[in-house]
Amino acid sequence: MIAFVSGGARSGKSRYAEALLCRWHARRGGRRWYLATARASDAEMAARIARHRRERGAGWHTLEVPLALDAALAEVGDGDSVLLDCLTLWASQWRYGGGGSDAEGEALLAECLAAARARGIALVVVSNDLNEDLPPEDAETRRYIAFLQRLHRRLAREADRVVEVVAGLPIDWKPIDDHDPETLP
Amino acid sequence: MQSLIGGAGSGRRRLAAERFPGARWHRLAAGEAAACLEARGGGEVLVVDGIADWLAAALAETSDDEALRGLWSGLLDGLAAAPGEAVLILDEMGRGIVPMDPAPRRLRDHNGWLVQAAAARSRAVWYLRHGLCKQLK
Repeated sequence: MIAFVSGGARSGKSRYAEALLCRWHARRGGRRWYLATARASDAEMAARIARHRRERGAGWHTLEVPLALDAALAEVGDGDSVLLDCLTLWASQWRYGGGGSDAEGEALLAECLAAARARGIALVVVSNDLNEDLPPEDAETRRYIAFLQRLHRRLAREADRVVEVVAGLPIDWKPIDDHDPETLP
Repeated sequence: MQSLIGGAGSGRRRLAAERFPGARWHRLAAGEAAACLEARGGGEVLVVDGIADWLAAALAETSDDEALRGLWSGLLDGLAAAPGEAVLILDEMGRGIVPMDPAPRRLRDHNGWLVQAAAARSRAVWYLRHGLCKQLK
């Protein structure tokens, strides 16, 4: 069970993704994991992380995952529920913080999605929609957006649910199979 | 006419290639008018790409907004009236912060108006997001 949840800044995407994961977790049992791609690199980031952690409340196992998504997923048990927030930051760390090539980044994501599916892990991935702005002036930013969109297209293709969040409300981009209770919102 | 609208890397070209396998593709050159259509036979599907770049080039050529509007409006009329069917690859670029500089602001404005006008003239309109699409019209 894989969901891809994205939206603009302060669209409520993290909150929606967390609620979705909690609904899945309530039905499925197992442990509940929060994979944080953010590192507390400065005071603002630390405060942001602390606020997110407070809002999530107790009952979460938290892992910091700046790069090694596969290693983090290896710590998660079969059938557990995992919230990954957010892919946008992971993508920039992968490109500029010692990850690897774009193709390797996409391959790692694909490998993690396949592992989650094979091991019955419920995975919700959060990301930012950044591709509907004016084309960036500098080539490096354009390449970053191109990489992020590679990841987004891959996720959208593989996910069971693809949700755009606007003002905290979901817009579904993939049909939901009403006959499968696991995919119900 | 049909329109495929989406942001950068949203999968518009791939969708066009899948939906219209026999189509001819044409990338608009700067300054080109609807004359590109003359070479086209009836009943053929023509995927038209490079519209935002064409618009950016036209913007640099004239500071007269009405003349510019006439230019892109004429292009759309030509595409809509031609025999066969044009499939337009259009850019969504209006969901960021208002640019400080007038030039990108003007591009964003005219692109938005052009996309609206193209959608109004199209019998089918698709919006693409991360490789998935919704039919808007």
